[in-house]
Amino acid sequence: MKSVQAIFVKQSKDMIKNFSVLIMFVIFPLVAFVMTHFVARGNYDIPDTMFTTMMASIFSGMALIQAACGVIAEDREKKSIRFLVIAGVKPLAYLAGIGGVILIASLISSLAFGFIGGFARDEFIAFMLVMMSGAIASIILGATIGVYANNAQAASGLSLPFAVILGFAPMVAQFNERVESFVGFFYTQQINVVVNDFTAGLAHPLTVIWLNIAVLAVLFILAYAKKGLGS
Amino acid sequence: MISMNNIVKKFGSQTVLSEVSFEVKQGEMFGLLGRSGAGKTTIINILTNQLKPDGGSHKIGVTSYETGLMLDEDGLYDRLSCLDNLQVFATIYGISDKNSKDALDKVGLGESANKAVSQLSKGMRQRLALARAILHNPKVLFLDEPTGGLDPNTAQGIHKLIQGLQKQGATIFLTTHNMDEAVKLCDRVLLLHKGKIVEQGVPTEICERHDAVKTVPDLEKVFIKMTGEGLS
Repeated sequence: MKSVQAIFVKQSKDMIKNFSVLIMFVIFPLVAFVMTHFVARGNYDIPDTMFTTMMASIFSGMALIQAACGVIAEDREKKSIRFLVIAGVKPLAYLAGIGGVILIASLISSLAFGFIGGFARDEFIAFMLVMMSGAIASIILGATIGVYANNAQAASGLSLPFAVILGFAPMVAQFNERVESFVGFFYTQQINVVVNDFTAGLAHPLTVIWLNIAVLAVLFILAYAKKGLGS
Repeated sequence: MISMNNIVKKFGSQTVLSEVSFEVKQGEMFGLLGRSGAGKTTIINILTNQLKPDGGSHKIGVTSYETGLMLDEDGLYDRLSCLDNLQVFATIYGISDKNSKDALDKVGLGESANKAVSQLSKGMRQRLALARAILHNPKVLFLDEPTGGLDPNTAQGIHKLIQGLQKQGATIFLTTHNMDEAVKLCDRVLLLHKGKIVEQGVPTEICERHDAVKTVPDLEKVFIKMTGEGLS
């Protein structure tokens, strides 16, 4: 527990000073706010929540994957992880500390999305649940890429296709039914599914997300078994 | 305290350590000398369980918690302050924040405690890495090229600090390619060349054995005699 606390505090301080990571948690809610207030409001052809869900999906897919893989790949590249491992920090404690900070930061951004979307109380809770589950999936995928990549630059390159597909596919799905049927398996699409019809309940979207998490966890275990946290 | 018996390590088809055996006694300052690529860092990596050998056995008489480590790559968090870097490890070791401040004072970085690591010079980074290594008063200290690339004044400061740690009872295992440093600091040394031990013992005795004592013991002369190659 001491190790998780140490990594959590370290990562919190580091993230506040890391503009390139921090901006990702601010820019997506900011764009959602601007688009909602200056484009969607008063335009009857565009649902009020459209830009919120669009930006929330892109945020969940892109920002969190890149944040998680960037942090881990940087720590590996600079050999910081070696000193942690030698000091007795277990890989799971390290990942819990890093993942915990990214998860909390993503929840703060999700709260902003929730307020921008103007959801009612029950809708808000459902939205936060689906965002939190999606964040866990993205963090595991980001960690997998961070563990697999040899350095921060390679991690950035490797994560980009995943981030673009998972982040933008839900947006494309809004305009194309064939894409929508395929993207229905993606955890990022479940944000759209929930917001588009809150009355349908959370059972199906959360099942899809947690199946995604199970698959990603297996991928992470395989990547970790192959590469470990060292370098 | 530390021992290696017939350690063999290969990277692919290349043998980087060939039947390396030695023993380090408690409270001793032991120097591992050789050119870059001789296998010095590989030995530290094996002793600290970062690498598995392909043959032989090794032992350290303390837990990983009781070892301190300073490597050629410092692994410091650039965006965090000196104090924050140490506090990460103070929390992991379960020791108070005062230890972090004391360690910074010991290495002469007390006034730079709140400075971001990215703003430090190479010498200051080395000292901070040393502060992290000694933060929890380890019983065994591994120092990989602790003064590599430093100016003589900073190197001398680090020498004094290392000698002080030994006086307090720490066993120190250091690698260097600086023979003068080894003569000055080490109780015993091991000369390593292309992964093989070419000589080991007390520096002055080694020099006497190889007729390399002038006004001061000349380990470099021994090294050239044994390997046929200079250090640069």
